[in-house]
Amino acid sequence: MREEIIKQIEGYETIRRDIEALKKYGYDYRIDRGEAMQAVERLHPSTLCLRVVDIIEETPSAKTLRLAPINATLPPFMAGQYISLIVEIRNVRTTRAYSISSPPHCTGYYDVTVRRVSEGFVSSYLLDEVNIGDEILTSGPAGNFYYNPVIHGKELVFIAGGSGITPFMGMIREIAQRGIDRTVHLFYGNRNDDDIIFHDELLEIARKNARIRYYPVVEHPSKSWNGLEGYITREMLLEKLKTIDGKAFFLCGPQGLYDFIEPQLAQLNIPRKKIRREMYGQPSDVTRQSGWPADVAASREFEMRVEGKGVFTAKAGESLLASLERAGIVLPSLCRSGECSMCRAKLLSGKVYQLPVALVRKSDAIFGYIHTCAAYPLSDVALECD
Amino acid sequence: MADFDVVVIGAGNAGLMGALTCAKKGAKVLLLERHNIPGGCATSFCRGRFEFEISLHQLSGMGSAERPGPLRSVLNSTGVLDRLEFIEMKDLYRVTYPGKLDIALPTEKNAVVAKLQETFPKEKDAIAKFFDFVYAFFAEVIGAFYLADPDISPQKYPLYFKYALVDTQTILDEYFKDPLLKLALSVYWTYMGVPPRHLPFSDMAALLFSYIEFKPYHLKGGSQMLSNALLESFRSAGGKVRFNCPAERIIIQNGAVVAVKTALGEEISTRCVLSNASAITTFVELLHENDVPAHMYEQMRARTVGTSFFTIYLGMDCEPGRLGINETTNFISTTEDADADYAQSKRLSCEKSSFLLSCYNVADSSFSPPGTSQAALVTMKYAEPWLRLSPSQYYDEKFRCAEQLLRRAEKVFPGITSSIEEMDIATPLTHMRYLGHPGGGAYGFDQYAKDSTLFVPPTPPIEGLYCAGSWYGSAGYQPTLTSGASAARAILKKLR
Repeated sequence: MREEIIKQIEGYETIRRDIEALKKYGYDYRIDRGEAMQAVERLHPSTLCLRVVDIIEETPSAKTLRLAPINATLPPFMAGQYISLIVEIRNVRTTRAYSISSPPHCTGYYDVTVRRVSEGFVSSYLLDEVNIGDEILTSGPAGNFYYNPVIHGKELVFIAGGSGITPFMGMIREIAQRGIDRTVHLFYGNRNDDDIIFHDELLEIARKNARIRYYPVVEHPSKSWNGLEGYITREMLLEKLKTIDGKAFFLCGPQGLYDFIEPQLAQLNIPRKKIRREMYGQPSDVTRQSGWPADVAASREFEMRVEGKGVFTAKAGESLLASLERAGIVLPSLCRSGECSMCRAKLLSGKVYQLPVALVRKSDAIFGYIHTCAAYPLSDVALECD
Repeated sequence: MADFDVVVIGAGNAGLMGALTCAKKGAKVLLLERHNIPGGCATSFCRGRFEFEISLHQLSGMGSAERPGPLRSVLNSTGVLDRLEFIEMKDLYRVTYPGKLDIALPTEKNAVVAKLQETFPKEKDAIAKFFDFVYAFFAEVIGAFYLADPDISPQKYPLYFKYALVDTQTILDEYFKDPLLKLALSVYWTYMGVPPRHLPFSDMAALLFSYIEFKPYHLKGGSQMLSNALLESFRSAGGKVRFNCPAERIIIQNGAVVAVKTALGEEISTRCVLSNASAITTFVELLHENDVPAHMYEQMRARTVGTSFFTIYLGMDCEPGRLGINETTNFISTTEDADADYAQSKRLSCEKSSFLLSCYNVADSSFSPPGTSQAALVTMKYAEPWLRLSPSQYYDEKFRCAEQLLRRAEKVFPGITSSIEEMDIATPLTHMRYLGHPGGGAYGFDQYAKDSTLFVPPTPPIEGLYCAGSWYGSAGYQPTLTSGASAARAILKKLR
């Protein structure tokens, strides 16, 4: 509409004058140049540059790396969340998510506790090659495995397996050190009793705090072990908890833990909403997952064509994200458990096995997007990663 | 020879629609998006067995296949309709002001009038007259603008010229006495972000007319399905997209666009840029100050960054009926005074905030797994109080506000809290983070009468630069999708 017509709308002149006045007295957005989004960066920095200020030997197979900020303050997090370490090992840039084992009120550092994984590419590097004083690039804190005061109540049951204790350590230390009114029943399963991460500290915390009940369970105990033995079973839970009513269950550990404990919880009729489960990395052997085709061996190699980047090799038993990283193609990644969708890419052709736990949006599935950290090639594939 | 005919910055509704429209006409288009997924506000995220809709509540202007509304026509022209399944909602909304008012409005005009008359019998005649007025007014809007009358005048369109800039409250006061009736009729103001006292009547009339005539819609798979469908059509039309790739600078030479530099350092030459980034981002961050005519900054000084939202996304382990959720759209009010209500949006606390609970399962039982439902509980909140928090207070405040809202939702929908299986919370800072907008303003600048395109022309005075989205016109799905299409038409004209 031409201005001479617009002018005839009733009230036009008044508003015109308002605008002229506001132009004089309003806010000059130019003064925020480069800073408008700083508040967001303080909470959710895209990357953090941290220094290893201490390395604590926890058990023969596990160490805690204490990471402190170099020129900044650390963003807050909720106990149970993780950071993703961005590392370059022998020319391969990759990431790994590690739960923060220090509590949120320790604002000067993040602890990540690393256990050696057999043939673990990143864990071996972190345990053997990283020294005090080294710098490490990480993501900001992320993840959805945390206590929600609105819905989780005050009686919590933590079920941990092996290195799955790490997110719980942050939660337990927070409750114990700050005297928070919340009761925790920790069932912590390990293979052997000489390799229980944080065992002494947990015994000590439980001794001092009636709110924290600690039940270590060992599968293959030594002669000197006088605690619970075998697996964490529903009978054991019932015996120690007396009742499951009103309690919220949190699970974190390797695939084997979920495979065993979830049916046990189901038999106790614990409603789904009372169970939270951490998405905890990739399975050590994807070919044992349900739905994996019997005729594709983990070692089988396929061609992986990446639009505009070239043709590479991808192993069936390795996630496409890892194969991309080996090929020198960097996709953003965070959880590496199929959850966060950062490594989303479009599958142009070919067939993949997508882990059933991957949280792929309905429309993404329809339009052929996959989460590459949780997708494994079952044929030659073509991807678009832009 | 430029690398691309058009570089589109931002894959929000307007960016996607603009990119697609240009590519369909044969232009060589590159779409840059800083996030890893298309949609901007029109996205979703997964938690457990739920996929939460970020921002779509009621799609306006769709209409049916037989009687298409303006949005359906725009989408139809891009060929994405075949990929989408739209679902008509059977209700406009329910308004609950506990202890004082509880009314659910259907979508047929006569039924709306009858329902209001039944609830407010003393103002029976005024209700009928009001709707006649809304319709008569909007008939003029259609004649003048939708049908693009070349000869618009006050004589031909008297209602438009008299009432277009009058505020909604004045009209409501003119017709009605009961403040509860005014509340029942005006709750859609939250879809525009400013209260009836400031909301131009033309906007209110558009909302009521459009939702009643063309019905509110939802689509299967949520807004992410729309975004993915638009992107897929864009790719099929030869368009190139780059995710995780923010634009860093729009390069101007001799007053005209020549290239876009990405945050990865590449320089991509082009004669046309369509910016779907916020106006502040575009003119303060992406453009160099010397390349922008000074009056652009002056114009921006007269504007204020609009509201953001505090949203709780809820996945529940029961069907909505079990909780008494029988309408898709439920406004829960704490006062009949919209000004007081609006004032709450500038506070951190949600103790007195009115809110909206949208539950698509009512219209589409397949929206979440069988035996479950999901809802978004949202209230208008400006970013300012959240920006003042120290980072260490952030998570506590987030949960405190969520609890305040849920405690009140519990009174209207008993059992809602104990049925929650998955829950996540978005604050204005969350919206800032994912949208890259200062203030997390999903509606762009505040939408006062002075901010309408009658006063602020959408096209910036830099050759080759085009802008589209909520920061450059009206907010909402229909307006932003439409603005992307019309910016594309202007670009195609230049390319020819």
